[in-house]
Amino acid sequence: MPLIKESVMRGLGKRVTIGFLSIVGLLLASGIISLFELGNMSNDTESILSASRRNMEMAKDMLKSAHEHSQAVLHIALFDENSYRDVCRRTMGDLEGKVATIRNEAVDASRLDSLSSAVATLREVADNFLSTPKAPIAPAVPVVPQNDTLVVMLPVDVVAQPAASKGGMEWYDDNYKVAYDNLVDEIQEFMTHIHSSLAPRAEQLNKNAYRSVAPVLISLVVLIAIVLMFYYFIAVYCVKPIAKINKSLSDYMSYRLPFSIKDDLLDELKELVDNIERLVGLSKQNRQ
Amino acid sequence: MRVSVVLRYVGTVMLCLAAFMMMAAGMSYMNGMDSGFYPLLLSALLTLTLGAFPLLFVPKAMAITNKEGFAIVVGSWVLACIVGMFPYLIWGGEFTLVNAWFESVSGFTDTGATILNDIEQLPDGLLFYRTSTNWIGGVGVVMFALVILPSLGASKMSLSNVELSSLAKNNYRYRTQMIIRILLVVYVGLTVITTLLLKMAGLRWFDALNHAMSACATAGFSTKNASIAFYDNVVVEMILVAAMLISSIHFGLIYATFLRKGNNIFRSEIVRIYLVIIGISTLLVTISLLDAGVYTTIWDSLRYSFFQVVSLITTTGYATADTNMWTPFAIVILIFVSVIGACAGSTSGGMKVDRLLLFCKLLWARIRRQQHPNAVIRIRVDGVAQEADMLNNVVVFIVTYIALILFATITNTMFGQDLMTAFSSAVSCIGNVGPGFGEVGSMSNFSQIPAILKLQDSFLMLMGRLEIFGFIQLFFLKWWR
Repeated sequence: MPLIKESVMRGLGKRVTIGFLSIVGLLLASGIISLFELGNMSNDTESILSASRRNMEMAKDMLKSAHEHSQAVLHIALFDENSYRDVCRRTMGDLEGKVATIRNEAVDASRLDSLSSAVATLREVADNFLSTPKAPIAPAVPVVPQNDTLVVMLPVDVVAQPAASKGGMEWYDDNYKVAYDNLVDEIQEFMTHIHSSLAPRAEQLNKNAYRSVAPVLISLVVLIAIVLMFYYFIAVYCVKPIAKINKSLSDYMSYRLPFSIKDDLLDELKELVDNIERLVGLSKQNRQ
Repeated sequence: MRVSVVLRYVGTVMLCLAAFMMMAAGMSYMNGMDSGFYPLLLSALLTLTLGAFPLLFVPKAMAITNKEGFAIVVGSWVLACIVGMFPYLIWGGEFTLVNAWFESVSGFTDTGATILNDIEQLPDGLLFYRTSTNWIGGVGVVMFALVILPSLGASKMSLSNVELSSLAKNNYRYRTQMIIRILLVVYVGLTVITTLLLKMAGLRWFDALNHAMSACATAGFSTKNASIAFYDNVVVEMILVAAMLISSIHFGLIYATFLRKGNNIFRSEIVRIYLVIIGISTLLVTISLLDAGVYTTIWDSLRYSFFQVVSLITTTGYATADTNMWTPFAIVILIFVSVIGACAGSTSGGMKVDRLLLFCKLLWARIRRQQHPNAVIRIRVDGVAQEADMLNNVVVFIVTYIALILFATITNTMFGQDLMTAFSSAVSCIGNVGPGFGEVGSMSNFSQIPAILKLQDSFLMLMGRLEIFGFIQLFFLKWWR
C-alpha cells in the first residue's frame, strides 16, 4: 500500500486552499482597484479646485492690471505725464502674459478668443494714442466727470487735478473707455465661466466616485456567490460523503451490513473509503 | 439533476468570457491604459474566479442528461448576461444597473440595441468588449464553449438539442462533433475575411475588426454613433451586406457549398425563398422611396433600401439612413422583414424563413384538403417530408411569437410609448434586430425608455434568442422529466 504524504497541499486541502486564496485574492484586487480609483478621484478633485483657484487669482490680477493701465493712460491723456508710460507698458505686458497663460492651460482655448481680442484691442487703442505726436496743449479746463463710471475710475489725485487736456479727455471717453469696459466685461465673463465650468466637472467627479465604489460592491456580490458555491461544494463533496462513510461504517459495526459507498469521491475521501474497505476485508479474513 | 455538473459546464463558459474580457483589457493597455483597462481587468478576474471555482471541486462528467444540458445552456446565457454587465457597471458613465443589463443582454443575444447616447465616448477596450459579446453570442455561448470542453462525448448532443432550433438541426445532416467544427470554421473564416475586406475599404483596423465581428454575428453593435452611415461609403456597405447575408444563411449549407456537397446553398428551397423575399422587399422599398421623393436618384434609393432590408431581415440592425423619415409603406415592409428574420441555423434571430415557408405550405395544404378531403398531403421542404409534430411546433411557435409581440406592445403603450415605438421595439427585441422605428429608430437608441420597459425588452431578447420555449422551460425545470 502506498504511503500517504502528510502534506496539507494535496487533494482536498489543496482545493480548499486554492478556493480560499482566490477569494482573498479577489478581495485584494478589488480593494486595490478601488483605492486606485479613489486616488484618481482625489487627484482630480485637487486639480479641479486648484485650477479654479488659480484662474480666479489670474482674473483678479487681470482686473487689477487693467485698472492700473487705465489710470496710467488717464494720467498721460489728461496731463501728459510721460512717467506713466512705463506703467502702461508693464500693466499691458501683465495682461497679455496672463491671457497667454490661461490660454495655454485651458482645455478649450477657443472660449478665450474674445478675452484675447479685448486685450489686443485695448493695446491697439492705447498704442495708437501714445504713438501719435502730441497736439498743442489745449486750454486747461476743470475736470467734470461725465458719468459715475469715470468717477469710480478716476484716482483721487486725478480728480483733484485742477485742469486737464480737453482732447485727451474726449479720446479717453470715446475710444479707450469703450475698449476698457469691453475688457472688464470679458474678464467678468471669464470669471463666470470658471464657476459654470465647475458643474460638469463636479458631475464627472460624481461619476468617478461611483467608479471607485463599484468594484468593491460588484466583488462583494461575486464573492457571496463564490462563498455559496464553496459552501455547496464542501457540503456535497466533503460533508455528505463523510456522513455516508460514518453511517455505512456504523451499520457494518453494529449490524454487519456490507460497507459500500457508491458516490464519486474526491482525493483523500476516496483513499479513506478504499482503506476502510481493505480494513473490513482484513477483519473478515481474521474472523474466518 | 446534478447541480454541480451544471455549474462546472457553465463555469467553463465563464472562462471563455473571462478570456475575451482579458483580450479587451489588453487592447485597453495597448491604447495607453485607457479608462476601460481596470474595469475590464477586474471583471476578467471576477469572471475567471467564478468560472474556475466549480472546476476545482466538480470532476468531469462523461455524460449529461437532457435536463442538465438544458440547464447548462439557459444558465450559460443568463449568467453570461449577468457577468457581462460587470465591465459596464464598473466603468460607469451612462451605465446604470438596468442600462448595463440591457446592453449586456442586447450584446449576447445579438440584438444590437443600445442605451448609449454617445458610443464614441467609450474607450477602445470597452468598445471591443462590447462587440465581442456580439461575437460570442453569435455562435451561442454554449456552442462556443463546447469546443474547449474536454469531456464531450454523449453530452454534446444534449446541449445542441436546446441551442439549435429543431429546424436547424435537421438541416445540418452531420454528427454533432462536426456541427461545432462547421460553426467555427465558417464563423471565424467569415470574420477574418470581412475584417480584411473592411480594412482594404479604408476602415481602421480597430473599426474593421469590430464591424466584422458584429456583422458576422448579425448583431449590429457599431463603434460609431451614426452606425454605418458614419462612413458613407458604398464599398463598406456592400462588404457588410455580403457578410450579413452569408451569416444569415444556414452555416451547414455554407460549409457544404464550400465543400461542393449536394445539399448546398444553390439547391436549398429555403435560401431561394429567403433571397426572393429580400429582392421583392428591396424593390418595393426602392419604388416607394423614389416615388415619395425621399431620394432623388434610383441609385440612392436602391443603395439605402437594399442595405436596410438586408440589415433588418438578417436581424443585424446596422443603419445607413434614418428610416423614420421613410414612407409608411417602406416602414411596414421593413417591419415585416424584421418579423420574418433569416434562415434557421444561422446567427440571426427573428421568426425564421423556414417557419414562414412551412406555415405557407400548411395553409396551402389546408386549402387543398378542403377541396380533396380524402387526399393524403405531405408537406416537404427540400424534398424531405416534414413530420406532423414539427409542423405543429411551427404553428405553436408562430402564434406564441405574435402573441408575445402583441403583449409587449400593450405593456409598452401602457408606459406612454406611441404605437409605432411600442410595436416596433417589441418586434425588434423579440427578433433580436436592434433598432425599431419611432423613438427607437435607426438613428436613435433605447436610453429614453423607462427602466421597467428596458427590463421587459431584455427578457424579450433572451426569449427570442432561446427560441421562446427554451426560455420558458427554465421556469418549469422542476416538473421536467
